[in-house]
Amino acid sequence: MKGTFPWKRAAVALFVAVFVVAGCAKKQTVKTDEGAAGAGTGVPAGSAPGPGDLKEASVKEGPTGTSPADQVASATTATAAGVSVTEEKASQFDDVRFDFDKSVVREDGRKTCQVVADYMKKNPRAKLLIEGHCDERGTAEYNLALGERRAVAVKNYLVSLGVPKAGLSSVSFGKERPLDPGHDEGAWAKNRRAHFVLK
Amino acid sequence: MRRPIGAAAGAVLLALFLFPSAAYPLLYIDINAPGGKRMPLAVADFAIGPGDPSLSRGIPKILSDDLALTDLFDLVPPTAHMETVTAAHFSGKPLSFPGWKMIGAEAVVIGKAEAQGDRVSIEMRLYDATQGTLLVGKRYSGTPRQIRSIAHRFANEIVYTFTGVRGVFGTEIAFSARSGKSKGKDLYIVGMDGQDLRKVTDNRSFNLFPRWSPDGQWLAYTSFRTGSPSIYLRNFTTGAEKDVVRFGGTKAPGGFSPDGVWLYAGVSEGGNSDIYRVRVVGGTAEKVVEGWGLDLSPSPSPDGRKIAFVSDRGGSPQVYVKSIGTSGETRISQGSGYATSPSWSPTGDRIAYTARVRGHFAVFTVAPDGSDTREVVSAPDGDCEDPSFAPDGRSLVYTYRKRGYSSLKIISSDGRRQRTLVSGLDDAGSPAWSPGR
Repeated sequence: MKGTFPWKRAAVALFVAVFVVAGCAKKQTVKTDEGAAGAGTGVPAGSAPGPGDLKEASVKEGPTGTSPADQVASATTATAAGVSVTEEKASQFDDVRFDFDKSVVREDGRKTCQVVADYMKKNPRAKLLIEGHCDERGTAEYNLALGERRAVAVKNYLVSLGVPKAGLSSVSFGKERPLDPGHDEGAWAKNRRAHFVLK
Repeated sequence: MRRPIGAAAGAVLLALFLFPSAAYPLLYIDINAPGGKRMPLAVADFAIGPGDPSLSRGIPKILSDDLALTDLFDLVPPTAHMETVTAAHFSGKPLSFPGWKMIGAEAVVIGKAEAQGDRVSIEMRLYDATQGTLLVGKRYSGTPRQIRSIAHRFANEIVYTFTGVRGVFGTEIAFSARSGKSKGKDLYIVGMDGQDLRKVTDNRSFNLFPRWSPDGQWLAYTSFRTGSPSIYLRNFTTGAEKDVVRFGGTKAPGGFSPDGVWLYAGVSEGGNSDIYRVRVVGGTAEKVVEGWGLDLSPSPSPDGRKIAFVSDRGGSPQVYVKSIGTSGETRISQGSGYATSPSWSPTGDRIAYTARVRGHFAVFTVAPDGSDTREVVSAPDGDCEDPSFAPDGRSLVYTYRKRGYSSLKIISSDGRRQRTLVSGLDDAGSPAWSPGR
């Protein structure tokens, strides 16, 4: 820039820009209190700025100074212990298998269900978890819902065979825990299944 | 992130008003003209300021790498540069613009860095080499660890100056992948430039479907860590988590309303999945889509009035759009196959989804009214699925899978250019692009 730079106007612009930026920083730092569930507007907004604030300001030609600015908080990583669900638990019952994208209990599956139903009726205090699983094709979210429908289809069939509902529960693992790690129809057929776990 | 962007736009408008000659985008790049003219730009080596023997070395490369990702710039290689930038260029000494013009640069970026204790101060300026005018200048201060994000911020300023659309540098992608130790899946986050890969969860369970809150401060996801699926909200700053959907069996978060008040989720009860929205604070739930079939994967529109979602009410999963609070629902995916995982563009004009064609999965986009379906990417021997739009709507991240191999890729929305973001992690999937920074 030449010597005719309008310093006064620059100062005004810088001041106003900083004001605007500072105003937005204020709006960003809406407090969210984990303990205050039920209160407030529900905006999961940013929390108080951390120690490592990043500041930004506009500069114009000529020597520069520091200015207040908006703030960025950095991400943190945390860990939590979990219940192990990643290992297949052995079952005394066969799996009930399904066709691709289907949750209808087939003829072979009904025979397995009859065996399971007989056991449950003989052991009225037994608790049975029915896991729904899918093959690897398709998106994980859809498969999770499909796995649930498979588990519930088996559960409902057991109830229709006279098993009390109270002893049955279901969970879907979608395509997250394949029995066979292969990538062909043979593996997929084994992985589209309901798996029984006595608790 | 709407407010900061709005405020920034306000500041720019104000600057335009006060400095019509200095801030007017003289060198406008039309981002909607594929194959259009690219801006020849030079990123000079930084001036070394007090206390900075090495801090500034890497910044020009970060800026250049960012700008190269856009395909909007031709970067003049540093070996061609003739002028050495010094501190004097930040206190009145003009650059030798004819020299920069001579090596082909129509724009020049200069910078300097100073360190004081554990703080760094970095100033960067973008000049129009033809007019010899300052287009944008910023001074940043932060910790040495924040140098990358400072460079990304200025790269965004450069893109904004030339295109009028904010860049997406410094944004991140969350996804799930098998973790080495167990057969479980953990959540990871990686920068959109492929840097700074890190793990978010570590609980030897299945952690799935990460979804960002509009302010980027929270991640909603499904975890099996208690043995059955729950949706958790994790705060990045505090690491605090809360369980937000306290009913139903299988559940998966879809997305937040733009104001961050609601989390949309698919929740199954008795094998039938419906779509709910749940207040992030308080947990009050409302049913948004229900029916005989599976209804899941809600993706809210950027104006918050509609959702795209998946339903198999017609016999196979397909993508539908619905206005919140009304009964009408329009199917927008075509064919009789299998269409899932909609992602509404932050610009509002397109919805991306996964569909099965020719025995494989491919990524498509479609207008929200179901017209103008376009295939973005497919692979003859693999699957392309689970798209998620960048905040500027100009590119998508998706999962590529071929037998046991998987990677995350980023592709321009027109399907012309793509690059691998993450590879080498087992069963990587469900990528979600963060909001703008």
